[in-house]
Amino acid sequence: MIQEVPSFNRVALWTLIKREMIRSLKIINQVIWPPVISTLLYVFVFGLALGSRIQTVQGVTYAQFLIPGLIMLQTIDSSYGECSSSVFQGRFMNSIQEMLIAPMSAFEIVFGYVLGSLARAILIAALITVLGAVLVHTWPQNWLLYFGVLCMVSILFSSLGLIFGLMAEKFDHLAVLTTFVITPLTFVGGVFTSAAMLPQVLQRLELVNPIFYTIDAFRRSYTGESFLPPWLSLSVIALLMVVALGIALRMMAIGYKLRT
Amino acid sequence: MSAPAIEIDHLVKRYGDFTAVEDVSLRVAQGEFFGFLGPNGAGKTTTINAIVGLAQPNSGAIRVFGYDNHVEWREARRLIGLAPQEYNFDRYLSIRDVLIFQAGYFGLRGPKVKERADMLLERFGLASKAKGEYTRLSGGMKRRLTLARALIHEPKLVILDEPTAGVDVELRLELWQLLRDLNGDGLTIFLTTHYLEEAEELCKTIAIIREGRIVTQQSTESLIADGARLQDVFLELTRA
Repeated sequence: MIQEVPSFNRVALWTLIKREMIRSLKIINQVIWPPVISTLLYVFVFGLALGSRIQTVQGVTYAQFLIPGLIMLQTIDSSYGECSSSVFQGRFMNSIQEMLIAPMSAFEIVFGYVLGSLARAILIAALITVLGAVLVHTWPQNWLLYFGVLCMVSILFSSLGLIFGLMAEKFDHLAVLTTFVITPLTFVGGVFTSAAMLPQVLQRLELVNPIFYTIDAFRRSYTGESFLPPWLSLSVIALLMVVALGIALRMMAIGYKLRT
Repeated sequence: MSAPAIEIDHLVKRYGDFTAVEDVSLRVAQGEFFGFLGPNGAGKTTTINAIVGLAQPNSGAIRVFGYDNHVEWREARRLIGLAPQEYNFDRYLSIRDVLIFQAGYFGLRGPKVKERADMLLERFGLASKAKGEYTRLSGGMKRRLTLARALIHEPKLVILDEPTAGVDVELRLELWQLLRDLNGDGLTIFLTTHYLEEAEELCKTIAIIREGRIVTQQSTESLIADGARLQDVFLELTRA
């Protein structure tokens, strides 16, 4: 069975992606259904019940306005959660050693985790997109923008998850970024409100919130409208994605907390 | 002449001020059953980690079948199977998939991998458990699974870090026979163990490490010549 060793181990990359997908499906009640159910609750409580008192936002009903924001919320949450917990568990149980002793490069390991996480994000986004179509009759108008932003945001937050999964010393540390940074920034980043509704001071503050750019650009794929020009949001997201991915690759290459 | 299975030249590994391995040089010939002995903390696991790429040496060189494990790391790793002392299986995979996914990380897939996984499960008495989770296996079965996983990609060298630690006498004898058979098939075996009778029984060559330095490397036969017991030789060489 001994074969030539390829310079790019694509079988290993695909094996890790598949492993991540199996992991997600094994814990489906923990990682797939909760975001779908919480989205349903948001749509019913905020969108249909309270939202009926709001006329229109960006030319659509409030419930329709919510859907793209909720997809981003869950994409960010699931991408970060998948990578951070999978990498940390691998370190904690030492099962990550299976990859570290194999002929796998840092690139193959990082992209295996990130693309596995992207697969989970796409599944969740697809389920919420269908919910949005069925419940509040909204559907993306620009699929290229929809997939482009979804993939970049998932890669950005998966990379952050990988970084924190490598840095954390205990499970509790993984929650620091979500509790104190990601969740607050996501909630004030335009999931529930349009920047146009805010006073000018808060509008300026939104510009330093990186999550605002992700939601604003993604919502444009649904409504065709955005607060910022799409090129600006896409550039900010792409820049952050490249930086986070670069740091994750560097940490894996030097074997940060993996190789002594 | 064929390259040695392992060739270590002047390996040094430090952790801060602590020197775990100091100027270690070793040769393990192809097909050899090699015992690497030493007290706790002597540098055995650090040396193993340096061979498989889990530890980054401060200086020195390691070649595996002639491949520099730093420069030609893909080729070197492809030829090594590691059976660590701890059970570090992927908890999300079935026992059969533990083997198939490990082969995948080594760049192998397809029907031949599945056939080999089934063959190893059969040979190691795990076939009836193939679809189950490793957490339900007994200690002895986990040991055998560790060994099967190390062999799934058909390595030419297998490194066993205390493969019989904590197993009963019957299983130990069974594992010894398995290891003898594998070595008989041409596999190079690098074994660390605290059971000196195990090393005496199985290994053709023994190296002893103490405080990060090799204190002897010679054939088992010459080490216990004149009726000496390996335990006495070991204690004499490793005594502080």
